[in-house]
Amino acid sequence: MRSKNNMMHRDGVPEMRHLVNRPCLVYLLLSILLIQAAYGEKSNDDDDEVTFKDFTLNIGDRIDLGDYQMELIEIQSVRDGLVVMRISKIGGSLDEQRALLQDSPNNFDGGAENRGVTITVADIFDEQSAKVRIEYQQGLGTARKRASERPAAALDKPELSVQKSFDKNQMSVGDEVKVTITVKNTGTGQALGIIAEDVPPLPEFSYVAGYPPKIKETLDSGQSDSAVYVMNAVKEGSIRVPAIQVSYTDSKKNAKSNSSVPFNILIGPKSKADLAIKLTSKVPIALDGEGMLNISISNLGTAPATRIEANGGVNPPEGLQVSGLEKSFFEILPEAYENYSAMLSGQKPGNYTIRLRVNYDGGDGSVIRESTAKVVVLEREYKYQYLLLIIPIAIVIAWMYRRYREYKY
Amino acid sequence: MLNVLMLGVGQCGNRILDAINKEAFGGSGASKLAKYYLRPKFPSRVETLAVNTAVNDLKELRFTTAKDRLHVPNLHGVGANRNVGKQAFMDNRDMIMGEIEKRGDFDIAFVITSASGGTGSSFSPLLINELKRQYRDITVITVAVLPFREEGSIYLQNAAFSMRELMEVDAEGIILADNQYMKRFGGDIASAYDKINGMIAQRLLFLIESLDSEMLSVTDLGDFKTVMNGGLRIGTMGFYQADSKNLSIRDAIENSLKPANLLYPANVADDAARAMVIIQGSREHLDMDEITKEVERLSASAGHVFKGIVVKKGRPKVLSVFTVASAPELESIYAQAARGMQDEKEKRTRARKQLNDAFAHIEDLEEIY
Repeated sequence: MRSKNNMMHRDGVPEMRHLVNRPCLVYLLLSILLIQAAYGEKSNDDDDEVTFKDFTLNIGDRIDLGDYQMELIEIQSVRDGLVVMRISKIGGSLDEQRALLQDSPNNFDGGAENRGVTITVADIFDEQSAKVRIEYQQGLGTARKRASERPAAALDKPELSVQKSFDKNQMSVGDEVKVTITVKNTGTGQALGIIAEDVPPLPEFSYVAGYPPKIKETLDSGQSDSAVYVMNAVKEGSIRVPAIQVSYTDSKKNAKSNSSVPFNILIGPKSKADLAIKLTSKVPIALDGEGMLNISISNLGTAPATRIEANGGVNPPEGLQVSGLEKSFFEILPEAYENYSAMLSGQKPGNYTIRLRVNYDGGDGSVIRESTAKVVVLEREYKYQYLLLIIPIAIVIAWMYRRYREYKY
Repeated sequence: MLNVLMLGVGQCGNRILDAINKEAFGGSGASKLAKYYLRPKFPSRVETLAVNTAVNDLKELRFTTAKDRLHVPNLHGVGANRNVGKQAFMDNRDMIMGEIEKRGDFDIAFVITSASGGTGSSFSPLLINELKRQYRDITVITVAVLPFREEGSIYLQNAAFSMRELMEVDAEGIILADNQYMKRFGGDIASAYDKINGMIAQRLLFLIESLDSEMLSVTDLGDFKTVMNGGLRIGTMGFYQADSKNLSIRDAIENSLKPANLLYPANVADDAARAMVIIQGSREHLDMDEITKEVERLSASAGHVFKGIVVKKGRPKVLSVFTVASAPELESIYAQAARGMQDEKEKRTRARKQLNDAFAHIEDLEEIY
C-alpha cells in the first residue's frame, strides 16, 4: 500500500512544475494540493485495506465479489479436509477449479494483498457444506453469497444399523440358542467393505454352527442382510451379551461404523424332570371290603421324564392285597401328569403302608422317587353297638327329667 | 282293692302327706333321689292331695308330685285365722272339690291336718262335710295333730275350736297325734317333726295295707269303722316292731299299746272303748295261741278288740288302733286354751283401757297450728 501511495505521490509532480513561476498562486495551489493530497492519501488507504468475510456454503452456492465468482463445487473429503471450489473472473481472465485443504489460505489473482482474493476453508460440516473465509481488499466491493439454484445433488451417505438378537432371553444349561445378526443400510448411499465384528462366543456358550456370521460386503441403500449362528448354553448365570460392531465405507472411502445394543440374558440350571407322586386312599377299608388307591404322577420339572416305571409293595405284606400298582409310561412332559388307580382288598384288620417307587430318566440320568400311603383295614364293625349304652342313658335321663318335671312345683 | 284318698290340709297336713309319699318310696331308708327312679308303692289305690293356702308350704314338699299339690289362692296363708280360712275354703270350694273329684271314687278318706293351724283347722271340718256330701258311702277319718302347748294361745284356741268342730262333723272318727306327747323323742324341732310325721305316715300305710290284704284272721274297713265309731270317736294308734332279741308276738302286741308307742297319751286299760290289733310277720313268729290270749286279755279292758293277722315275711309288727271313752288330755288342752283366751282378753282390755286413758289427756284439746 505504501508503494501505491508513493506512486500516487509521483503522479502529482508535473502539475506542480507549471505553478513554480507564480509564487502566490503557487503557494495557493501548493496549499490546495497539499490539502488535496492529504485527503487523497487517506481515501486510497481505505480502499486498499484487506478485509475478510466468512460464508457457509452448500454445494453449488456462490460468492460474488466484484468481478470474482467463487463456487463450492464439492466436499471431496470430510476426513481429509478437502473442498473443491471454482474461482472465475468476469471477462475470463481467471477460471480455476482448485481443491482447497482445510485451514490453508489459497491465493487467487495474487491474493488479497495484490487486489486478488484469498480463500481459506475454515470448517467442513459434512458432505454438503463447508465454512469458507474470503479475504479481499475493500476496494473490490462487498462479497455476497448467491445460493445455488440447482437442486441439491442426491447424498451418498450410507448408514448401517446392526442388530444382534437371541431367539430367547431365558434358557437353561444345555439349551441351544439361535443368534441372529441383522445389518441394514438405512442411509442414502452404498455401504462398501462391510465387516461385522462379533466378539468371540461367551464362555457360557459353545459353538454349534454358523460362526462367525457372514454379512454381504456391499449393501445398497435400503438393503439388509442377516446371518445366524447357533450356540449351546453350557454355564448358568446372568450374562451381558456384548454388542456387535459393523464397519464400512461410503463411496468416497469414508470409514464408518455402528454397533448393536448390548443386552442381558439368563441361563438357568440345566432342565430336569422332577416327578411328584401322590397316593390317595379315601377311606378306611372294611374287612373283606375293597378300596381304591389313586396314584398321580406329575412332572414338576422343566424337562420331560422318560422311561417311567412304577412299582411298589405293601408292608406288612399279608392282609392287604394290592393289584394294579405297577405301571410304565414312555414320557411325561413338564407340567403334565398321569393318573391311575390300584385296587385294594382288605383281608385282615390292621394298618398297612403302601410304598410306590417310580424310576425314570430325568434328563440327567436315572432318578428314583418314592411315596407311601397309609391304608387302614377296619375291624369288623358291629353297627349301632354304641347305642346299647347311649339309649339306656338317654332313657334314664329322659325318665329322670320327666320325674323332675313331675315333682317340680 | 281299697280306694283311698289322703288329704293333707295346711302345713302340718302337707308335711305328713309328704312323709306318706316318702314312705311309699321306701320310708326312712329311701334316698332323696328315689323319686327319680322309683314309683311310689302304695298297698292300695291311694290318691294323695296336699291342700294349702300358702304356696311356700307347698313348695317345700319333696315327695309329692306337682299335680298333687293344690294351692288355694288366698295371698300367702290365712295367718292362723280360722275365720279367714273358712272364708277362703268357701270361696274355693268348687275348685277344691273338683280337684278331688278328678281322682275318682273312694272307699275311705284320711283328712290329715293340724288342729291348731290356720288353713288345716279351718278347712278340715268344712272339707269333711263336703266329702260326706259328695261321696255318700265314703269313710272319712280325720288325723288331727295337736300342737305343742307352748306354741301360743292362738294355736291352742284354734285347736280347741277346731277339735269341737271336727267332732261335730259326720266323720267316722278322729285319730289323734299329740306333738306335745311326742316331744319326748328329743332332738331339734325339725327332726322331731320329721320323726312324728314319719311315724304317722308309717302307721297309716300299715293300716291301709292291712285292711287291703288277705289275712289269716280277717279285719276289714267295716271293722275299722266300728272301732272308730266307739267311745268318743276319738282314737289313736300304737305301733311296735319286734327286735331280733325278742320275737315274741305277745310282747309285740303288749308293746304296741304301751304309751311310749302311742301317738296320743292314753291308757288302753282305762280309756279304750274299742280296739283293733293288726299283726304282721312271718308265719313262724305268729303263735296263734299267744295272739289269742293277748287279744282276750286286751278285750277284758277295752271292750271289743278286732284282730287281723297278715302273714308276711319278717319280724312281727303290730299296729293297734283304739278309740277312747274319755280324753283327759283333751280336757287339759281346752282348759289351757280357755286360760290363754282369757289372758288374751284381759290383756286386750287392759291395753284398751291404757290407751283410752292416754287419749283422755287430749280429750278437750284441739289441734293448734
